[in-house]
Amino acid sequence: MPEVINPTIELPLYILLVLLCLLAGCFVLAMKAVKNMAAALQEQPDAMLPLVDATKPGTTPLHRWDARFKIAAIIGFAFLTVSLHRSLYIGAALLVAAGLVSLARLSWSRSLRRIMAMNGFLAMFLVVMPFTAIIHPDDTLIQFGALSSWPLNLRGLELAVQIVGKAWTVALLMEPLLATAPLGSTLAGLTRLGVPDKVAELLLIAHRYIHVFFGELQRMRCGMEARAFRSGFRLGALRDYGNFVGMLLVRSFERTHRVYDAMQARGYAGLMPQQEVGKAKAADWLKMILLVVVGLILLIGDRLAGGAA
Amino acid sequence: MHQLASRPPLDQTGETLFSLRDVSFSYPNGTAALDTISLDIAPGDRIAIVGQNGAGKSTLLKHLNGLLPTQDGTLTYKGLPFDPDHLRKARLEIGLLFQDPDDQLFCNSVEEDVLFGPLNQGLAPDVARSKCEAALADVGLEALGARPPHRLSYGQRKRAALAGLLAMEPEVLLLDEPTANLDPQQEELLLQRLKDYPGTIVCITHNLLFAYELCQRTVVLEQGRIHHDFSLRELVSHRAALRGHGLDFSFRFVEQALPENGGSEVTTSPGSEESVVAAEPLVSLHDYSFAYPDGTEALNGVNLQIRPGEKLAIVGENGAGKTTLVSCLMGLQLGRGLYRLNGETVSASNRKQSCRTVGLVFQDSADQLFCPSCAEEVAFGPRQLGLDKVETERRVGSALRQVGLEGYEERVPLHLSGGERKRLALAAVLAMQPDVLILDEPTAGLDPDGEERLLNIIRNLDVTLVLVSHDLFFVRQLARRTVVLHDGMLVQDYSTESFFNDANLTTLNQLDFTYRNRCGLEIMKLQHEHEHTHLHSHLHEHEHRHGDQVHSHPHEHEHEHAHTFSHTHHAHPEKPVAAPEHGHLPRADKPHQHDHPGHEDEPHDHDH
Repeated sequence: MPEVINPTIELPLYILLVLLCLLAGCFVLAMKAVKNMAAALQEQPDAMLPLVDATKPGTTPLHRWDARFKIAAIIGFAFLTVSLHRSLYIGAALLVAAGLVSLARLSWSRSLRRIMAMNGFLAMFLVVMPFTAIIHPDDTLIQFGALSSWPLNLRGLELAVQIVGKAWTVALLMEPLLATAPLGSTLAGLTRLGVPDKVAELLLIAHRYIHVFFGELQRMRCGMEARAFRSGFRLGALRDYGNFVGMLLVRSFERTHRVYDAMQARGYAGLMPQQEVGKAKAADWLKMILLVVVGLILLIGDRLAGGAA
Repeated sequence: MHQLASRPPLDQTGETLFSLRDVSFSYPNGTAALDTISLDIAPGDRIAIVGQNGAGKSTLLKHLNGLLPTQDGTLTYKGLPFDPDHLRKARLEIGLLFQDPDDQLFCNSVEEDVLFGPLNQGLAPDVARSKCEAALADVGLEALGARPPHRLSYGQRKRAALAGLLAMEPEVLLLDEPTANLDPQQEELLLQRLKDYPGTIVCITHNLLFAYELCQRTVVLEQGRIHHDFSLRELVSHRAALRGHGLDFSFRFVEQALPENGGSEVTTSPGSEESVVAAEPLVSLHDYSFAYPDGTEALNGVNLQIRPGEKLAIVGENGAGKTTLVSCLMGLQLGRGLYRLNGETVSASNRKQSCRTVGLVFQDSADQLFCPSCAEEVAFGPRQLGLDKVETERRVGSALRQVGLEGYEERVPLHLSGGERKRLALAAVLAMQPDVLILDEPTAGLDPDGEERLLNIIRNLDVTLVLVSHDLFFVRQLARRTVVLHDGMLVQDYSTESFFNDANLTTLNQLDFTYRNRCGLEIMKLQHEHEHTHLHSHLHEHEHRHGDQVHSHPHEHEHEHAHTFSHTHHAHPEKPVAAPEHGHLPRADKPHQHDHPGHEDEPHDHDH
């Protein structure tokens, strides 16, 4: 059997170092973004979480879109996107997602900050996959000086870029999906699509109380710091952490009882009351079909291009 | 679900709305909370349920809403016991306002939350929506309907929770500490709204001034039993009864009674004014600002110096920046500008050392207590400071003694009463022996007895004190100097006496205590009216007998009966404030005249 020789590009080692520095820079930026968001979270607890609740009624087509159709269309488009194999089509899907964010007139700074926060994790793919992808025939390899035994596989790099592109696309899609309607409406849409009521109620209450519990956690942490608490892995500190977590659990448990009492006191009998549910309009169907068709076109194009290749 | 345009109320089958007969209740751990309670509540009643922490007030309230089952005795609402069907219907017309609005606002927007009740009542969505809008407008939150509850201030959340009940148009409102943690303006807003409410109100509160304005009747609970059930006027006018139940808030009126003595009367004695002024500042803020990540300027160019031994009060409306200022002083937040503590500049690298010099007692003690025993709780701070075991134990004993909790070493903090927990939190801070002690709303959630005990403890502390409070009585009692924060700026820094004489206080800082002062004066007057029984003469006409002859003509005769006797105080020259002993002199404008209801109908003999 003849030996397969892959096309190889040889580059000096410092190019690899420059590339790694660039990646490290991206990582630092991402961490900074996360830190900023964490700081924002301390004072404004909802800043870091995905905006899963529109607090102001919007007038864009996405805001006026019936939640059921919006969920089905956007989730469907997300699945089609992750099925793509070719960078060009993934890029196109990313553009569609960005277009939806623009169409919904959502905050770009918020969306980009969230993408930056993901980048720390995604950077690992960019670093690891080019050096670990199985080398196929015709894969182009780049060798860096003395590190010729660890060639950079361009196909591995492309795979990593595709993963990043898909992750960005799905992250961007979550904004127009969740941030263009009150969470209650979105969850009502989910239940009408077949998700059990209890799951929707659980999500609704979890979203409400995540802020309250986080506030309690912050205040208790301040309470410890105000008494000179020194964190670390000392035995004493671990015991204090245990007390802290225990008390947080006790308080959370007590609160759940009080919340349930409050619900019962206003007539809760096991089911949240359903709010007004609008009837599906032609526009809702049209928007859903349009987005799904775009997704299908991308998928078919991707597959056909793959076949042609 | 069948949807209604309006909800028919349950039929009223009796004269009373609630009727409790020998109701007793014990919690699963064996704690007896209610003991043979018998009580009737009529439609339109406005009842304040008062008593010390742990008296059984909340348990009683939960019975009235059927949240707790009746273990012994009977409880009926509109003549029927709470069987499942009646209970379900009754809950839709009995509104329960929880103490913590976060317990009650469980939906993701205020509007959804307010709609929750009306939709559960089976109202049509458009009707429910119009009721929701009306209720939100009623509490002044019409513009905030789409907001998530966590983006509202505490006072707004409290009003949103009330709107959730008002939208249901309940026949009964059950209120659990409705004024807890509210600033004076929010408290008055709530009071006005509740005064307009036409139905029955049952209110648990330690705030007897608020109760006095809102309710006519009061039920005093002690250890799960009803000790008194009479008018609120009667309760507040009998200081002995108040004191007997740990509810005597009259200590707050001592200075009001004697306004001519000139306001500030700090009874602590740490160093003279001169030595305080001459000392180097312990805390010094210069042009200090702080902005939250969302851009909110919480502090703006604050200049403040606190010298050793000073007693300083920080006042301001909710959101004025008081808590942020305290956080910066503690080193929990770092702003822009110069902060020097004990002569050293506080920076990012050393800010966490500030807590060795500055101690903070939180508004909610629960945020500060997390250890399994009181001794461990108090020892936490000294342990973190690296003190040895002997010194830590000495400080634990000393701190617990200072706050009157000796013998509580092995008790579980979670099981203590509100007042005890507050004192434990204070002990936990005192054990660290801070140079500066900050008290954030120390009276929040305390009953009057707890307030008075805390006041006496703080008075005896020899420490630089910073008091953050809406409670102007505490400010008057404890602080010599008062700084006023408004919109993150320090707008006034003057003596406490000047602060109380400041005519702009109300308009600038919403520290409007008009109704509280009015109530206080009324209650003082009531407490100065006593019923006496003594012999006296009156001229009046009624039938009487002379031997066998019965006739009627005006005549004067002596008889003995009880009557209300108005009088003025004449202060003791030796003890004008501390011991308000007084004699009773008839008021000049009200000589000894009063009606004798029923006396004319009493047949009796007497000499002519």
